[in-house]
Amino acid sequence: MARQSRESHALFLLIVGLCAWVVPGGGYFLLKENKRATIVLITVVLAFLVGIYVGSIGIIDPVGAKLWYVAQIMASPAVAALGYLAAGGGYPVYGKPNEIGQIYTSVAGLLNLLCIVNSVYLAHLHRTESSGD
Amino acid sequence: MISNIILATFTAPEDIRTGPCCLLWLLPLVAAIAIAYKATKLPTIKVGSFLKETVLLFASIIVFLAITALALQALGWLVTE
Repeated sequence: MARQSRESHALFLLIVGLCAWVVPGGGYFLLKENKRATIVLITVVLAFLVGIYVGSIGIIDPVGAKLWYVAQIMASPAVAALGYLAAGGGYPVYGKPNEIGQIYTSVAGLLNLLCIVNSVYLAHLHRTESSGD
Repeated sequence: MISNIILATFTAPEDIRTGPCCLLWLLPLVAAIAIAYKATKLPTIKVGSFLKETVLLFASIIVFLAITALALQALGWLVTE
C-alpha cells in the first residue's frame, strides 16, 4: 500500500514537472496556484518572444549553438519545432540581434527551469502535508 | 494575412546598433528575472507585496550591475593609464 502511494506520488511529481515544461507555469496551474502560474506564463513567454522578435527564429540553432539550445529548450518542447524550422540555415542572424536574442531566449528557458523545479517541490510539499508525513 | 505578418516578425532579425543605448536591452530582461524569481519565492502572491518585492529585487540587481560596471571601468582605466 505504502509502495503504491509512493509510486503515485512520484508519478504526480513527474506529471507536474512535465506540465511545467510543456506550458510555462503549467505545473502551478495543476497545483491550483493560478496567480503564480499566470505570472510565470506571461513572464517566460514574453521574454522568449522578445528574444525571437529581436533575433528571429535563426537564434535557435541546435547544431551551431548547442549550449544556448539546451537553455532555450527548457522554455518548452515547442522550441524543438522552431529549431527544426531554423535548422536549414534559412534564417541567418549575426551580431547584436543574435547575441541579445540568444540571451533573452536562454534566460527565459532557465527561468522556466527554475519554475519547473519549484512547482515539483511545491507539489511534493502539498502531497506530504496532505498525507501528514 | 495577419498570420503572415506575425510570422514575418519572427523570421527577420531587428536592426540593433552597437552602442551605449543597446545596454538598455538589459532592463526588460532584469525585470523578467525579478518577476519570475519573486513568483517562485513568495509564499502567497498578493499584489502589493509582490510588486514591492519585485521592484526591490529589480533595483538591487541594477545597482549591483552598475557598481560592477563602474569598478571594471575604474580597473580598466588604472591598467591602461
